[in-house]
Amino acid sequence: MEILQFALRKLIGGIPLILGVTFISFLLMVYFGPDQTFELLGKNPTADEIAEVRHQLGYDKSFVVRYGEFLKQLVTMDFGLSDSTGEPVSSMLGRTIPVSIALVTPGFILGNLLGVLLALVAAYHRSGWIDKAIMGFAVVGMSVSFLIVIIAFQILLSSSFGLNLFPVRGWNVNSVGDYVMYVTVPTLASVFVALGYNTRFYRAVLVEEMTRDHVRTARAFGISPMKLFYKHILKNALIPIITRVMFSIPLVVVSGSLLIESYFGIPGVGKITFDAITSGDQPVLKAVVSLTAILFVLTLLITDILYRAVDPRVSLK
Amino acid sequence: MSDKANKPLLSVRNLIVEFATRYGPVRAVDNISFDIFPNETVGIVGESGCGKTVTGLSLLRLIPSPPGRIVQGEILLGDQDLAQMPEKDLARLRGEEISMIFQEPMTALNPVLTVGSQMIDVLLRHKKISRQEARETAIEMLTRVGIPAPKKRIDEYPHEMSGGMRQRVMIAMALSCNPRLLIADEPTTALDVTTQAQVLEQIVKLQEEFHMAVILVTHDLGVIAETCDRALVMYCGNIVESGTVDQLFANPRHPYTRGLLDSIPRLRDERLDKLPIIPGMVPDLLHLPQGCRFADRCAFAQADCRVAPPTLAIDDDNRSGVACYHPLS
Amino acid sequence: MNAPASSVTSPASLPEERHESIWGKALYKFRRDRTGMIGFTVVMIYFIAALGVWLGIWGTHWSDVEGPKWSPMSSEFLFGTNIIGQDIFQRAIYSTKTAFEIGLVVALLSTMFGALMGSLAGFFSGTWIDEVILWIKGVLDSIPFYLFVAAVAFAMKDNPYAMHVAMVSTFWTTTGRLVRGEVIKLRSFEFVEAAKAIGVPQIVIIFRHILPNTFHILLVQATIVFVAAIKSEVILSFLGLGVQDGVSWGLMISESTLEVLAGFFNNFIWASVFLFGLVMAFNMFSDALQDALDPKKVAAE
Repeated sequence: MEILQFALRKLIGGIPLILGVTFISFLLMVYFGPDQTFELLGKNPTADEIAEVRHQLGYDKSFVVRYGEFLKQLVTMDFGLSDSTGEPVSSMLGRTIPVSIALVTPGFILGNLLGVLLALVAAYHRSGWIDKAIMGFAVVGMSVSFLIVIIAFQILLSSSFGLNLFPVRGWNVNSVGDYVMYVTVPTLASVFVALGYNTRFYRAVLVEEMTRDHVRTARAFGISPMKLFYKHILKNALIPIITRVMFSIPLVVVSGSLLIESYFGIPGVGKITFDAITSGDQPVLKAVVSLTAILFVLTLLITDILYRAVDPRVSLK
Repeated sequence: MSDKANKPLLSVRNLIVEFATRYGPVRAVDNISFDIFPNETVGIVGESGCGKTVTGLSLLRLIPSPPGRIVQGEILLGDQDLAQMPEKDLARLRGEEISMIFQEPMTALNPVLTVGSQMIDVLLRHKKISRQEARETAIEMLTRVGIPAPKKRIDEYPHEMSGGMRQRVMIAMALSCNPRLLIADEPTTALDVTTQAQVLEQIVKLQEEFHMAVILVTHDLGVIAETCDRALVMYCGNIVESGTVDQLFANPRHPYTRGLLDSIPRLRDERLDKLPIIPGMVPDLLHLPQGCRFADRCAFAQADCRVAPPTLAIDDDNRSGVACYHPLS
Repeated sequence: MNAPASSVTSPASLPEERHESIWGKALYKFRRDRTGMIGFTVVMIYFIAALGVWLGIWGTHWSDVEGPKWSPMSSEFLFGTNIIGQDIFQRAIYSTKTAFEIGLVVALLSTMFGALMGSLAGFFSGTWIDEVILWIKGVLDSIPFYLFVAAVAFAMKDNPYAMHVAMVSTFWTTTGRLVRGEVIKLRSFEFVEAAKAIGVPQIVIIFRHILPNTFHILLVQATIVFVAAIKSEVILSFLGLGVQDGVSWGLMISESTLEVLAGFFNNFIWASVFLFGLVMAFNMFSDALQDALDPKKVAAE
């Protein structure tokens, strides 16, 4: 009951955020976005024809009316048909979102898991040469561009100039075997890029937790190193870890896959969104932006509930 | 030390502890030696930064490392040298033979675990008992340190308790395995005056009940006077005077001890124009004077004080001593 | 635990003294940080290369088609030529200027904007001004960055500065949050209270008394944003949203995606090496700066 009340309060509190995100998106992508008038017209249109098309597209209505209609579609979740392909937007999303999730999930999990592990080793040997080596590699990893990593991995793993083990590009997945073939190179690339940042972040978190007074207390009472680690360090470090992991989820799903999807020609949600921006496909844009905003508010909510689960000091009131 | 009737429980010999700073190593504890005998309460007193806390932490090798490091010295518990012992063996001994309680009751307990879970972990670590038995022992310990409704309190989190309560929990945890020595690092500094008195009283009472020795690290001479048998006065990483509390308070021999005593605000026969203070500042540990470290602030300093540092000469009989060329009589 | 060094420290109530000691100690510490000094030196070498391009001393032939396509490395074409026969060395050098232009413009503007918003939010914390700024920040942080840039680029109708505008409008938020926190802390200090008490106008308090005390945060943030900006440029250029005229390492890497499949790696390798060198050096410099300026670390030692 307490949780339900809390969830409701949080969701209502999220409304300004959703309004803000949709408003800015509307302003940029719809109101000032690409004008489709002339794509729908033949050569040498008359002024009447232009006005007719603009009326059909709703361009002649006032800003407020158009934003109102946008919000109405958001509330009813009725986004209509894609301007470019004529496909229902809901079916486009249903097709592309699972691809994006399948594409980014292994890299996301591995990147965070390996990050925590390396951070742990570094923090344990803090100031020693192992720590310095790991943190040195982290800075190197942070300094390499994602694009360079993708290209380099593609050359090394998927081309005749390298090992030539995996398909160069595309997403032709019908079985688990296919999935592994197509997902490996993008996964390796995203793990490589995320690892430096993750390791640094998690090391800072772990070192901070390791130097807390209560850890010294536990040591003073002879608590064993294993228990010290998982009960007194890791458990306390969960709040910043949860925060980082949770808040990267919405961005990773929509934006993180964009570069990989465009480079490897994978039909995910990042790709159709990017295409929609460049072609001014408003129904798709509206849907993606609204869903992202809602995803954000849900993330905020779930994160707060998780905080409560790991830290007794956090109250849901 | 050749006290035949009473062998020391803990002997510290020539202990040196350094901290690496970016200006070079700093000796927070510089070549100190002292003994702790069974069942006695010894205070370590001095201004902040004098090395008293570092001394307390070093005994269990708990100084943050890096940057801290025990450079030299022996910490003998019976015939075992804690300074050389492997970390694994030392961990077995911490909380069982020697326990420690800390200054900050706000942060010294893990905020995300119940006090019961923290106490039970300590008991399970050192005793071969079941979880249920450990829980019962923990409840009993909470009762003994004067926590009301311990059966309910044991499942609470530290933030649900007051500072005094939390410090009692720490004491209960520290005594749960019957240690022979308790090191208390400023245990009452963060508490309000009434609670301070209660917690101190509790420590004194339990010290007798548990037949253990206590090292009380504090800057507060009042606390020393109320609770300790003996005291060590530290200044700039050195022990400058050691003696029984009665002797120290009645006849301080080191000018620094005298200065400390004089600067305690108290009821006096005559009204003073201003409270006596020790002039000057504590020297920077990176730039210590060649001779006695107190010489620059000392009203009795003479030329020889600035040549070489005086050593602490301990009188075997009454365990007192002073590191001063011109002690007060 | 007691600090091992026991100098008697005065309370940090005097802004001038505190100010000076942070910068003095920071400089002292930075000069002793070997990686930081190496990073700084390398950044300076890049900067000189960029200056040379600006002044027209070198990198002037970056757009000329001077040789056959895909010439190997030689004394004539130090790094070889690209798919249409342009000198890769000239282009890589010229791109140094592009990188500094983007990095400096974005770092400077977003740090300034972040400082402004952060100090307003911090000084007026608890009022509607703070609420609105926090709301804007939350909204901007919730829109996926590359989609936002794409949208800005199209809304600005291929304006060459669309990328800069998009970066500045999203990169200020972290600076803003840090400055806000610092200002809330500073606001309760005696010197601000004193200024208020003698009737100094709020705007003067913010700009004369509070902002200068957040300068160490701004400097570190500027270096972080600089790195973020030149890294983002690469991906934006690949997506067709980045540099519109001129050349950049990002554009070179994008054009090399066609070449590498044919087995010609010079363009890719050299653009990557130049980019990596600058980003790595800047990261090292930024880390050392952070270490040196972290007031917690300065106070602890």
